[in-house]
Amino acid sequence: MLWLDALIQGVLLGGMFAQYALGRALMFGVMRIVNTSHGDLVILLGMIGISFATKYSVGPFVSLLMLVPLAAFTGWALQRAILNRVVGDDPLPSLIATFGLSIALQNLMLQIWSADTRSMPGGGIEQASFQLGPLFIGVLPVIVLVVATGLTTGLYLLLRFTRFGRALRASSADVEAAAMTGVNPKVIYGLATAIAVGILGFAAVFQGLRSTIAPSDGPFQLIYAFEAVIIGGMGSIWGAFIGSMVLGISQGIGFHINPGVGILAGHRVFLLVLALRPQGIFGRA
Amino acid sequence: MTVTMTAMLPSVRMRRQTTSGRIALVLGVLAIIALVAMPWWAKNGTIRSVVELCCYIAVAQMWNLLAGYALFIFAQLWGINPFFAVPLSLIAPAILAIPTYALLHRLDRPYFAIGTWVVAEVLRLLTENFYYVNAGAGMSLRVMQDYDAHTRKIGVTLLCALMLVVTVGGSYWLLRSRYGLAVTAMRDNAVAAASQGVNVSRLRFLIFVATAMGVGLAGSFYFMAQLRINPPAAYDPQWSKIAIFIVMVGGIGSIEGVLIGSMIYFLADRWFGQYGSTYLIVLGLMTLATALYARGGVRGLVCKVIDAPWFPIRRTLIDEGEAK
Repeated sequence: MLWLDALIQGVLLGGMFAQYALGRALMFGVMRIVNTSHGDLVILLGMIGISFATKYSVGPFVSLLMLVPLAAFTGWALQRAILNRVVGDDPLPSLIATFGLSIALQNLMLQIWSADTRSMPGGGIEQASFQLGPLFIGVLPVIVLVVATGLTTGLYLLLRFTRFGRALRASSADVEAAAMTGVNPKVIYGLATAIAVGILGFAAVFQGLRSTIAPSDGPFQLIYAFEAVIIGGMGSIWGAFIGSMVLGISQGIGFHINPGVGILAGHRVFLLVLALRPQGIFGRA
Repeated sequence: MTVTMTAMLPSVRMRRQTTSGRIALVLGVLAIIALVAMPWWAKNGTIRSVVELCCYIAVAQMWNLLAGYALFIFAQLWGINPFFAVPLSLIAPAILAIPTYALLHRLDRPYFAIGTWVVAEVLRLLTENFYYVNAGAGMSLRVMQDYDAHTRKIGVTLLCALMLVVTVGGSYWLLRSRYGLAVTAMRDNAVAAASQGVNVSRLRFLIFVATAMGVGLAGSFYFMAQLRINPPAAYDPQWSKIAIFIVMVGGIGSIEGVLIGSMIYFLADRWFGQYGSTYLIVLGLMTLATALYARGGVRGLVCKVIDAPWFPIRRTLIDEGEAK
């Protein structure tokens, strides 16, 4: 029964990872942009959300309503001001540019919010739980998982069936050919990054509610998101979701064995996938 | 140095060394001699600073080789080796690098970078759970206490000089050799290089292992000078940040760029380090600005004005008739 508990906790943790990984899957898997400041953006949005929620004493849902549009705008601005200039065949400039941005963001946050860990006031929802047979399951992690599933479905449908999704897939396949058929790749990429970072707005609120955040946490979120995308397979939205589940379950079971090896177990599964199935679960070889 | 082409080919000479290159070479040799002689003329603090500068140069040089010429890595692999003797620090990371590379080589360049980061995290977590090296608390290097301060200084500066010769000189030598041509071709276009008979995957692997060795050397050396080691400091991505900053701001893909970048970082750290996070914000924004507006870094800007390489690696063909 303890193992079942570890498994369920792992799936719920996977829901949290999926929220980081979705934006990552879109930028990194579909658009092939390496955004090293991905994790720092989550933390930045989380910090803004926490300050906002504390100052105006609003609940998490109001924070979410405020934070998601802000996140989307941030993503759009990031793409238009920085990433559109460095995107190209050579991935090095985008990596370096966002790496510089990530150092700047981390230290900016350190200056504004100090190195303390903080969490978002949730009005009791963070402790609520319900009983399922002999197991207790937190209400918040279930909400996180449901939201993650909803976001994944929405993003999948958006990419698969809308005009925007087609334009984005065309631009990522061949920018010039897409431009010839009347797509403006810069606008499309701007919108796509807005969506990717907008999803991080959800991730930021839930991360703040679920645990604590500190200015230096960003790189860890980046690693988890990266691992989830690679495990699931590049370019697949559902792959990123399943990859997050695999990562969450590995960590959950790892933590159950020994609290010291939880995160390590996740990394090991990642390396194992890389060794056995490098294209990822859903990837095409 | 000139290489005269043999019979069948048109009569041209290949020029590979320039006046500026020769001057730089002499200055470099003098600098190395001055470095070795340091215990007899410099103060303790100065030695410490210079050693730090040399470590920056070595780490950045290795990073540059990977990034500019082949592929790249956040090579924090070296953190565990200072426990061994210095020669071992060359072999151990090479051995570690082989399975790492075997796992990660399927990843494309940027993904490769983050992949190596995961490996570094794994190694850090393993070291922290590994009691022989005192786990997360780290350890002082007791073996060093057998030597008195002066002997230690001589040893440190000697090794420092050796490290510079191996990393900077080694990169220079590599890039001027046949392999250098292959590496440059691979950087420009891996597929085209392969069609010209360059064994791309083998070359990438060799460079990965070679740089792991170089970084291993720098790592063991740094902690020998510091006399104390703990895993968070050793596996700190800060090292990668420093290396990236140095290489990008100095000028990617050139040996001179690394030297310039190291000087900039070293001086900036001395003068502005007291401003803490503000200074790091500026550092980050500078890296960002370089990636956006000046891909060649400071060296690129300088080269636009005067083209006088310190370490010429280009091969210029001179028509024999014209040259005579």
